[in-house]
Order: sequence, then C-alpha cells, then structure tokens
Amino acid sequence: MSFAQAIFDTVMKIATEKNAKKINSVHVIIGNLLMLNPEQLKFCFNVITKGTIAEGAKLEVEISNAKIKCTVCGKEFDEYVGICDECGGFLSVEGGKEMILKRLEMEV
Amino acid sequence: MHKIEVDAEMDLLEENKRLAEENRKILKEKGVIAINVMGAIGSGKTLLIEKTVEALKDFKVGAILGDVIAKDDYERVARYGVKAMPLNTGKECHLDAHLVHHALEDFDLDGIDVLFIENVGNLICPVDFDLGENYRVVMVSVTEGDDVVGKHPEIFRLADVIIINKVELAEAVEANVDKMVEDARRLNPKAKIIKMDLKKGIGFDEWMEWLTCVLQSQER
Repeated sequence: MSFAQAIFDTVMKIATEKNAKKINSVHVIIGNLLMLNPEQLKFCFNVITKGTIAEGAKLEVEISNAKIKCTVCGKEFDEYVGICDECGGFLSVEGGKEMILKRLEMEV
Repeated sequence: MHKIEVDAEMDLLEENKRLAEENRKILKEKGVIAINVMGAIGSGKTLLIEKTVEALKDFKVGAILGDVIAKDDYERVARYGVKAMPLNTGKECHLDAHLVHHALEDFDLDGIDVLFIENVGNLICPVDFDLGENYRVVMVSVTEGDDVVGKHPEIFRLADVIIINKVELAEAVEANVDKMVEDARRLNPKAKIIKMDLKKGIGFDEWMEWLTCVLQSQER
C-alpha cells in the first residue's frame, strides 16, 4: 500500500505541475527483489486513485531483474540462492531494489 | 484537452532513502548506534530487548517499539526505566524512515548509546525500508517451522545478525535447527548467526558479546 501511495503522490505532483485534467496511464519499473506483487500493487493503486483525476488510470508494471552472479566463477543466476552451485563461491547482487516512475500519459 | 506523455524517470523510493539518511545523520550526531530488530510475530523481539536492557550495564539503551496498534511492547520495555517510545503504524505492516523520523523528533537521544527500533512483526514488508539504522537483526523461532529461513531469503540476505530462537522447543515441534542455520549461512555468509533460547538463557551471552563488541568498537 505504501508503494502505491508513493506512486500516487509522485504522479499527482507531476499532474499538478502540468495542470492535468486526467491521468490515462502510469508506467513503473520495479526491481524483482522488492517485496512487491504487481497485481496487489495495481489493486492498491486503483483503491487510492478513486475519486481523483487518476481514477481509472492504467498502471503498467515492468519488472527489472537484479544481476546475480558468482563472485568466483561468474555464473549468472535468476534468483538469489546464496552460494554458487558450481563452485561454492558467494553470490553478488546488483540492483533489483529499484522503483522508478518511468513515464505517464495524461490529458491537459 | 489533449494527451501528453511525460518521461518522468523518478526514483519512487527516494523519499524513504532521503529520510533514512537524515535519521542516520541525527543518530550519528548524538553518538547513537541504532539497531533495527526485525522478525516474525512472537519470535522474541521484545523479550530480546528486555533482557538486553537488563544485562547491558555499561551502555544506555533507548527503544522505539513499532506495532500496528497497541502499546504492549512499549509497556514491557518501559518498566525497566529506560527511555522508550511506542510507534504505531495504524495500518501499515512495517516501519518506514518517515515514521522513525517523526519519532526521533520527539525522542530524547541525549546520553543514549544504543537505540533499538523494534519493527512490526513481519518477515516481508520491513525488508525494503531502510530506517537509518546501523545494523539489522533478524529473529525467528523454531516454532515458525524450520523452513522459515529458506522461505524469506531477502530479509536474511540483508541482515547483520540472524537469531534462531526457542531452540529448546525444536524437538517438540519437530524442527531441524541445523537446517535453519545452514539456510541462514547459505543466504548470508557474512552474518553473525546465533542459536538462542531466550527463556532458558541459551545463546544470550553470544548476543551480548556481539553487541558489546559493536558498541565498543564503533566510532561515535
């Protein structure tokens, strides 16, 4: 809910600056290591936007994946498993924690 | 009316990051080490703070006790005569830097060496919210099932200390403590892992050793 609120607050700030009458769509990028479920986020966004100019706006969620690789042999992983199954090296994690408001479409 | 598209490229988590840094600055100025105590409901977070308050003689403790509603945890810690403050989130399942920032505005940090910030009982939501702490302690108990560590990789990956509590109950609930320790070590080879049974006093010395070491060595 607080993530949806962060999206909403930022969107409304931009909308006010641009004197928008209506928000059509909002595109966000979310790191895959954030504890967020896109469907729940959309639901919360819909609840928050009720009765505002963003009501009915489509929330498009794009997932960006963290770069997880072994610090020893360099093998890449899709998810964090802690220790490399090939060589036993530690894994490094880069990214996956970001939340970016990429763009929004509105009517002015 | 016409349609426009705005390329915003804005970091939506920036506000929390900014406030966390501000909290960190306030704490540093006052020479306070802050410890974010996270863990499931009933894992023993409040008891750990109570026992630590009792045992820590050379350092002054402060505590902020987060909960959705109610002040039970606060009352438990406050009766030891330390500076403590309840922090209710109202509805949210985690503390964030903003809530802690407001708490710090009212909290008298003078003379405090270590501030425990007890998060809301939850192994998921608190992960993504830096509060401005110096260390993260994650506490789980064997009664949550011995798969609880493996099922919540993120919170353990980012912890400084992992405490597995209630080990004396492991047999009764058929939990494999070694599996929990292995999972924790695999997810976070750098963390200090402590097997504990707070009510029986097991592992508490190890915790106090870590804490004292941190408090003595930290530049403040």
